[in-house]
Amino acid sequence: MLAFALRRVLVSIPVLLVASFIVFALGAASANPLAPLLEKNPPAPPNVIAAETVRLHLDQPLIPRYFSWLGGLILHGDFGPSVTSTMDIGAELGPRFLVTIRLIALAMVIALVLAIVVGVLTAVKQYSKTDYIATFLGFLFLAMPSFWLAILLKQGGIAVNGAVGYPAIYTIGSASVPPPTGFGANLADILGHMILPTIALALISYASWSRFTRASMLEVLNSDYVRLARSKGLSRRTVMVKHALRTALIPLTTVTALDIASIIGGAVVTEFVFQWKGLGDFFLNAVRSNDTYATSSWLLVSAVVVIAFNLIADLLYGVLDPRIRHA
Amino acid sequence: MRSKRAVAAAGLAAVTALVVAACGGGGGTTASGGGVYGDCKTDPNTCNSVAADQLQQGGQVTIASEKNIDNWNVISSEGNTDWTAYAMKPLMPYVFYTAPDLKSTLNTDVMDSAELTNPTTVTYKIKQAATWDDGTPVSADDFIFNWKTQAPAYCPDCETAGNGGFDQIANVVGSDGGKTVTLTLSKPYTDWQSFFGSAAPLYPAHIAAQQGDLSTPAGLKAGFDYFSKTVPNYTAGPFKVENWQDNVALTLVPNPKWYGATKPKLDRLVVRVITDATQEPIALQNNEVQVLFPQPQVDIVQQLASIPNVSQNQAQGLSWEHYDFNLVNPFLKDKALRQALFTAVNRQDVIAKTVGQFNPDIKPLDNHMFVPEQEGYQDNIASTGQGTGDIEKAKQILTTAGYTGVGTALVAPNGQAVPPLRIKYTTGNAVRQNECELFAGYAKQLGVTVEVSTTDSLGTTLGSGDYDVIVFGWIMSPFPFGGAQQLWLSTSASNYGKYVNPQVDQLINDAASSSDRAAATQQLNQADKIMSDDAYVLPLYQKPTLVATQNTIGNIRNNASLDGPTYNTAEWGIRSGS
Amino acid sequence: MPEHTVTSPETREPGTPVTSGVDREFTVAERSQTQLVLRRFLQHRAAVISLGVLIAVILLAYVGGMLWKYGAGEITPDNSQPPSWDHPFGTDAVGKDEFAQVLRGTRISLQVSVSVAILATLVGTLWGSVAGYFGGWVDSLMMRITDLVLTLPLIAVAAMLAHNFGGTWYLIAAVIAGLYWAYVSRVARGVVLSLREKEFVEAAKALGATDTRIILRHLVPNALGSILVNLTILVALAILLETSLSFLGFGVQAPDTSLGLLVSEAQTALTTRPWLFYFPGLFIIIIALTINFIGDGLRDAFDPQQTKVRQ
Repeated sequence: MLAFALRRVLVSIPVLLVASFIVFALGAASANPLAPLLEKNPPAPPNVIAAETVRLHLDQPLIPRYFSWLGGLILHGDFGPSVTSTMDIGAELGPRFLVTIRLIALAMVIALVLAIVVGVLTAVKQYSKTDYIATFLGFLFLAMPSFWLAILLKQGGIAVNGAVGYPAIYTIGSASVPPPTGFGANLADILGHMILPTIALALISYASWSRFTRASMLEVLNSDYVRLARSKGLSRRTVMVKHALRTALIPLTTVTALDIASIIGGAVVTEFVFQWKGLGDFFLNAVRSNDTYATSSWLLVSAVVVIAFNLIADLLYGVLDPRIRHA
Repeated sequence: MRSKRAVAAAGLAAVTALVVAACGGGGGTTASGGGVYGDCKTDPNTCNSVAADQLQQGGQVTIASEKNIDNWNVISSEGNTDWTAYAMKPLMPYVFYTAPDLKSTLNTDVMDSAELTNPTTVTYKIKQAATWDDGTPVSADDFIFNWKTQAPAYCPDCETAGNGGFDQIANVVGSDGGKTVTLTLSKPYTDWQSFFGSAAPLYPAHIAAQQGDLSTPAGLKAGFDYFSKTVPNYTAGPFKVENWQDNVALTLVPNPKWYGATKPKLDRLVVRVITDATQEPIALQNNEVQVLFPQPQVDIVQQLASIPNVSQNQAQGLSWEHYDFNLVNPFLKDKALRQALFTAVNRQDVIAKTVGQFNPDIKPLDNHMFVPEQEGYQDNIASTGQGTGDIEKAKQILTTAGYTGVGTALVAPNGQAVPPLRIKYTTGNAVRQNECELFAGYAKQLGVTVEVSTTDSLGTTLGSGDYDVIVFGWIMSPFPFGGAQQLWLSTSASNYGKYVNPQVDQLINDAASSSDRAAATQQLNQADKIMSDDAYVLPLYQKPTLVATQNTIGNIRNNASLDGPTYNTAEWGIRSGS
Repeated sequence: MPEHTVTSPETREPGTPVTSGVDREFTVAERSQTQLVLRRFLQHRAAVISLGVLIAVILLAYVGGMLWKYGAGEITPDNSQPPSWDHPFGTDAVGKDEFAQVLRGTRISLQVSVSVAILATLVGTLWGSVAGYFGGWVDSLMMRITDLVLTLPLIAVAAMLAHNFGGTWYLIAAVIAGLYWAYVSRVARGVVLSLREKEFVEAAKALGATDTRIILRHLVPNALGSILVNLTILVALAILLETSLSFLGFGVQAPDTSLGLLVSEAQTALTTRPWLFYFPGLFIIIIALTINFIGDGLRDAFDPQQTKVRQ
């Protein structure tokens, strides 16, 4: 198992390196960081533009610029200069990463648990009323623009607050400013801020994952070996949990890992609607201000997350399905 | 297959339910300055006033900011943004500020007096008690430092936002232990009150001196840049910075060394960054913020009106919307065509279909130099017939000038067909989109085709002249004379449409360097009449500003000048018993 | 329905050697499969109803838009009116008829998403087929590139590129398609991998067909079922992505319009002028929902194992 894990980690490194070049080139190609300066009115003096060109290393061609960026990143943890001279990209990314990962992780857990429960239930009770309703809701969530849902959720949150008589649910930001004192109050504050964005983000993934769980569960339930197990006299429950569920969940790990990139993308929208100052907000600011080092760094961080998740999924796959390890 | 049908049926049912829900809603009350702002129209400076003893001690007020603070130096070109200025107001000392009635007013917390003692000399007397929170007095040193950073002769590399008149200052000297400051001008400057005012407040010289030798350009630049990059660790105002979380919030607490007459009632004042304005009313409704100062827009106004225990008030300020011609276009060089097009524009109609929907008080603006709240405002435009929508008159102007095809396909007197004109507006600005589409509609009645398109960068488009007609807004400082020089001179960088009239140049320059304000006002109006007749820029209306607050908060009022609602944060407080 | 009879006599190019035996056998089999697929699809009621609704929406958008008394972008004297007989979806602030606006938005959104689906499917199918067919290092290299594209959050990259190049609908479509092809290529490769070993490919190889011919005339057509299913899903995904992009401000720009732009402009109108918020949103949902159901129906039709499961 250890050798398998090690091998997978090693394989990820070249992938990451190539990804770092792609995101750098993509960032550099997508915008001209000097544009706001050049478009200024009255025009910025030539010495200012020249100084910015040097500060942003734009006097170098793409390839050496990439290597100096990568070198700075690996050796000093320096993510490169931002167009906003006062900003340190690395220092910004750290705390923002924690904000976003909190949102993503909780949303994924909720989506997964819901998806497995509903997926299994609808597969077992195929063509029941529960199945119809869950299926339709799944399709509906898949068809709904996430921000549209988020705006409706905010109204719902205000209605809930009105009903309980005090502000339990917040619509803006990831915590109050300043945060309340006391562990309990602080926790309630954080949860109150998390609830709406988490639901908004979780529902989309939930919809596709529950559909997937249902399909793979149905496939397993109708497979020969489950029938064999049943005919051997094993209880329905034992067969379900020990055989069917385990087998059905294996492909779900892959699907979940594959979806992580789109969840990060979804978080950009969710953070925007709920004004969370996480990675998504960082990214939108970076794009709007033509901050190419910042966009590249953001893409790199998300690529690392995606690759890490895929790695975890691979390892989990190995745990769940012993055949993989030896392949 | 029973299943699929059931699902589809359920789908249809849900869809129908949504449609019904959508039709059922609606309505909404019209917005007016009700609630705590009932008397703002008559008493802009004192409405929503609550006496200090009616306010509770303590509490927190959060105000939503539409922008992050990237640069703390409001004098620098990068830091000169509206929300940075609002956030810095509770920290900075300044000489004059603009009150809600748009009058320039002496800041009596910091100053004993500031007077023009002769046409080229200004004498400032600083309060003895005025100190920075580290104990250093606010003194002539601060005046000298801030003058030098804004005077290109002393600090050529300080990138300032370009506050007018500093190049006319010959010298600034202190006396009386630094508490008296004498400023000498090289020639009279009508808008001398703008010096060291709330738009260009005083930064602490003694902190700048720690960054470099202030007698050298490099030292001045070092100090100037330090203030750009550093979260203020200094204050000479009622509040001081407790915490800054980038992109999230600025937290202010009372300054224990505050020397002003009114001590802050609040424990905490938070400037919360909410960059998506559309989310602000919901946050106010949920009491996550207590004060908003958003760009007014019909839905925001109506949404605010439907929130219980929240009041809102709109005031008309110093910024105004206008159509501009680019005189570089050979066809638009002809005055008759310009006059005809502007005459065809119906400003009442434009207002009714844009800002008039949420503010019934808005009227066409009839002057390029002054707004009605300022001394000197008079009608110089409606009297020319421009902006009235009088199509017959417009057609007559064209026919008289020798145009043919009037009302069908316009042909210039020289036999050339008038080609389609391009009108541009900033991407995403719905109000301006409407204004452009309406303009195209008016022009069509004269036989001129106008194509509407957008620009991502207003500055670039204006600078490069890549337009025939354009709609945008000017934000004026409360100082009309220096302002006119920046906008209308044939040499001005901001004269984008290349309007040249030596007579106008002469009048504006004379007005700006005058010691007789009444005569200067007359000169400026004279220039305005000529400019109006030349049909270069058609003012549409003054843009309103909007403040909304929870009714529990007292002394917050709309300030439609550049100073914004934070001009009096020391007075803010929560009403007792709420 | 797609024609699967690639090797049938009608479509064979002149001059190709006649290899009657094998060909005819497949022709017969394929024909009946097309009919089977059609029959199975028609049995999927939700999909059939959805197809009807979608066609109705498309007709409404294109034909209805031409017939409707108000043109898109036309300013009427009534502004901010709630729905009425004259303005079934109400009007906006300047007096534009929301029904006409929604129809125009629908046209643009459909144009974007269909172009994305077609473009991405073409590129992705070719890419995946080539990789799957050749295998070995070609496959590894090509699929690693695909994987890399998949590690990037699509909406973010689309926003980045659209910020610089975007604005008009076809550029937005090109940007989105430039990212979605990777998804398609994975599916196509999987199908081709399984087909590669099938007898008819072996036969074609044995008969000396070139690689290009085998890929284009044998593998791609046989993978058509899966690809078609994916194409429908892509349309739904693309319409939602375009919506989100427009919402963030990186999509289609006014004075042009799309359903996403209409909703995002109406965000604040939710409680004050709800018709501006709900109607475009509803159209997005209807389109995405019906397309998803159609895709579901197609999947069942092409892959009978899924539905057979129960019996």
